Amino acid sequence: MKRRNALRGLIVMALAISPALAALTSCASSGQGAATQPPAASQATSSQTAEESAETSAGPDVSQRVDLEFMMIGDGPKDLDRIVGMVNEKTLEKLNCTIKWNYTTFTDAMQKYNLALSSGQNLDLIYTAPFQNYFQLAKSGAFHSLNEILPTYAPELYAFVPEGHWKGVSVNGNIYTIPCTYKQYLCGGFIYRKDLREKFNLPVPVSMDTIEAYLLGVKENMPEQLLTNEFPMAGVYQFNFSAINVLSMNHTWANDVIYGIAADYNNPNQLTDYWNSDQFVEEMKLMKKWADMGFWSRSALSSVEDMSAMENGKTIARLFGGTVNSVSEYNAAVETTHPDWEFDIFLYSDINKVVYPTHPTQDGIAVPIASKHPDRAVMFAQELIMDEEINLLTNYGIKGEHYDVDADGWYIPLQDPQTSSFPWDGMKSWAWRNPVYMLFPKTDQYKIEMYAKFDEVAGYNYAAGFQEDYTNYQTERAALGTVMTQYLQPLHAGLVEDVDAAVATFREQAKLAGLETIQQQYTEQWLAYIKSLE
Amino acid sequence: MKTNNRRRRLADRHYLVYYLMLLPTIVFFVVFNYIPMTGIYYAFTKFSFTGGLFGSQFVGLDNFKYLFKSGILFRITRNTILYNIAFILIGNFAQIVLAVLISRVMGKLFKRITQSMLLLPYFVSFVILRVLVYNLFNYEIGLVNSTFASMGIAPYDFYNKTALWPFIIIFFYLWKSVGYGSVIYLASITGIDPELYESASIDGAGVFKQILYITLPLLKATFITLFLFSLGSILKGQFELFYQLVGSNGNLFTVTDIIDTFVFRSLTTDFDIGRSSAAGVYQSVFGFILIMTVNTIIKRKNPEYALF
Repeated sequence: MKRRNALRGLIVMALAISPALAALTSCASSGQGAATQPPAASQATSSQTAEESAETSAGPDVSQRVDLEFMMIGDGPKDLDRIVGMVNEKTLEKLNCTIKWNYTTFTDAMQKYNLALSSGQNLDLIYTAPFQNYFQLAKSGAFHSLNEILPTYAPELYAFVPEGHWKGVSVNGNIYTIPCTYKQYLCGGFIYRKDLREKFNLPVPVSMDTIEAYLLGVKENMPEQLLTNEFPMAGVYQFNFSAINVLSMNHTWANDVIYGIAADYNNPNQLTDYWNSDQFVEEMKLMKKWADMGFWSRSALSSVEDMSAMENGKTIARLFGGTVNSVSEYNAAVETTHPDWEFDIFLYSDINKVVYPTHPTQDGIAVPIASKHPDRAVMFAQELIMDEEINLLTNYGIKGEHYDVDADGWYIPLQDPQTSSFPWDGMKSWAWRNPVYMLFPKTDQYKIEMYAKFDEVAGYNYAAGFQEDYTNYQTERAALGTVMTQYLQPLHAGLVEDVDAAVATFREQAKLAGLETIQQQYTEQWLAYIKSLE
Repeated sequence: MKTNNRRRRLADRHYLVYYLMLLPTIVFFVVFNYIPMTGIYYAFTKFSFTGGLFGSQFVGLDNFKYLFKSGILFRITRNTILYNIAFILIGNFAQIVLAVLISRVMGKLFKRITQSMLLLPYFVSFVILRVLVYNLFNYEIGLVNSTFASMGIAPYDFYNKTALWPFIIIFFYLWKSVGYGSVIYLASITGIDPELYESASIDGAGVFKQILYITLPLLKATFITLFLFSLGSILKGQFELFYQLVGSNGNLFTVTDIIDTFVFRSLTTDFDIGRSSAAGVYQSVFGFILIMTVNTIIKRKNPEYALF
C-alpha cells in the first residue's frame, strides 16, 4: 500500500515537473537568443562579414545551412507544404537555406505579434503593415535595421524598390521593412445592390441625399430587409462607428482625425478642430436621423463586422469599407450563387476629390530582432520577390494545376475558388507581390481600369507616412480612447437621445481626459512632419 | 531515550515521503506563480524590446496615472466589486440549492440526465454566448422583440438602455456556472455520514428538517472555503462574459464596465506592457488586502473555517 502511494507520488511528480522543465528550458533558450543578439553587435558583425566578403568578392558566404522562419497573418492554403517544399528545393541549392511559413489567424493577430516579438522566439521574417503597428514596433526596436545588410546581401532588390519607398518605411533614417511596390488605392465608397435600384426604380447614389433616398426606397419596398451591418471599429486606436465613413465626402482630410484635429488635404499646413466645430454637430444629427430611419440596427453598437452579410443577402449595402477592389470581390462571390445580383460602388472621392495610393508601409517584410541570420533572411526575401519562378509559385501556386494564363494574359483559376487548394493570393502574399510578374483574374478588369484613372489624379498619402510619437501624452491618449468608446461612438451611430446634449458631454469628458494637451502636441508634430516633406 | 530517537527517525522518514509528495506542488507554484511575480516590475518601467524586463527604463508610478486620469476608477471598481458580490452570493446560493435538490432525486436515470443538462452550459464558449444573446435581444430581429411584437407589445431597446443589463449579465453568469459549481457541493453532500440522516428520520425529522439541520450546517465549511477563494479575485472580473455580451457598446458602460474590460479597451490598442501590469498590480494588491482582512475576521470568530 505504502509502496503504491510512493509510486503514485513519483508519477504525479514527474507529470508536474515535465511542463515546468519545458517552461524553464524554453525560457532559457529565448533568453539566450535575446542575450547573444544585441542589435548593435549583430549589425556590426554582419557589416563586418559583408566587408570581408566584398573584399574576397566571392559573393556572400552561404556555407552554413540555415532554416528560416516566416511569420504571416491569415490562413495558409491547403497545398502550403507542397509549395514550400518546391521553394525549399530551389533555395537550398541557391542560398543553402530553407523556409518555413507560420500562419496565424487574424483574430488577436496584434497580440500574437507582440508575444512573438517580445518573447525572443526564433523568427527571421515577419509580415508588417500599418494595421499591425509597423511604426510603433520599429521604433521600439522589434526589427533589425536593414540599411547595411540590404545593399550587400540583396543588391538586386535594393535597386528594384524605388528610393521613395525606402524613405517611406524609414524610421529615424533606418529601414526596418522591405516594402511591396505594388500600388493600391483604398479610397472608400458606398457599395450597394444595383439590381435592387433598378428593380424599384430608385435614384443612383451619387451624394448624401441620393444615398438616403436609395436606402429609404429599399426599406419601403422590402420592410423586413436589414439594410447595412455597420459596427464599432476595433483596431489600433480606432474608436469610430463604421457608418461615419460616409461623412468623408464632406471633407478634404489629409490625416486620420483621431484627436479631432483635421488637416486639409489641399493645404496640409491648415488644421481645424473638427470636434469643436458646428459641422460636427450637424453631421452627428444626420447620423441620428439615419439611425432613426433604421439604416442600421439599433443594436449595432454591440454588433461585429460580418464581411459575408452582403454576399448572403442579410444586408444590401455598406457605408464603410467599400473599395473598387471589394466591389469586384463581392461580384465574384455572388457570380454563381445569385447571378441576378449585382453590386456597384459610389466613391466618396468623386465628391471630395481626395485620392491617394497606399503608403509604402502598407505591406512589407521585416527581420525580427531575434533573427540570428538577418543576412540570409534578406537574401531569401530577394529571391522571393525577384525570382520569377519562386514569386509566381508563392503567389498563384502551380501553373497547370492551380491556375493557367490565357492568351490575353489573364489569370484563369483551374479549381473552384471557394475550395481551391491554392487560390489566387493563397499564401497572403501581399508583401512580396511583384508588379512585373503579377497576374489578375478577368473580374479585376474594372479595378485595373479604375487604378489607371486614379494614377492620373493621385496625390501624396500624408496620413500613412506620419509617424506620431505619443510618448509624452500616452496617459492622456489612453484616457481619451476610453472616452471615445463611451461617448463618441454612440454619437457616430446616432444612438443617443439628444445630439446636442451628447456632444456637450463628449466634449467635456474629452477635455477632462486631456484632449487639449494631445491636440497641441499632435499639431506641433504634424506641422513638423509636413515641413519635412517639403 | 533510545526508543524516542528511533521513533523520531521513523517519523522523519515517514514525513519525508509526504514532503516528496508535496514537492511537485511546490515546484508548480514556484515556477508558475512565484517566478512570474518578478514581472510586477514591468508595472514600473517603460517597456522596450531591446531592454526586456530589467533593461527597460524605470519610470516609478507613471504607469498608474492613467487609471486615475480617466476619472472612472471609482465606477469600474464599484461595478467589479458589486458584480462579483452578486456572482459569489447568488451563485453559491443557487449551487447549494441545486446540489441539495439533486442529492434528493432518487431516479438514477433522471438524476444523470438532469446533471448533464445542468453541466452543458459550462462548455458553451463565450463567443457563442455572444451570438446567442445578440440574437435574443437584437432590436429588429431579436427573439424577445419578435415575441413582443406578436403579442402587441412595443419593442424594447435592449442595447441602448442600461436598466436590465445587470440582470442579464448575472442571469447568464448563473446559467453558465451553476451546474458546474454545484458539483463541489454535491461532493460534500455525498460525504455526509448517512447514519446522521438515519437517526434523524428515526427521531421523526422530515426531509426539510434533515436538510435544514444536517445538510446545510455541514456545507458551511465548504461554503466559507469557496467564499474566501473567490474573495481573492473580487477585483478580477469575468472578462469574457462582459466583453462578449456587451462588446464596445459605450451606451451600456455605466453599468457594464469592469476593470478588466476597461483595461482591455484602453491598452490592447497600444502595446503597453507597463500599463497592463500596473492594472494587474492594482487588482492583485486590492485582492490581497481584502482576503487578508476577511480571513483575519473569520479566524477571530471561528478559527476552524479560516484559510490559513
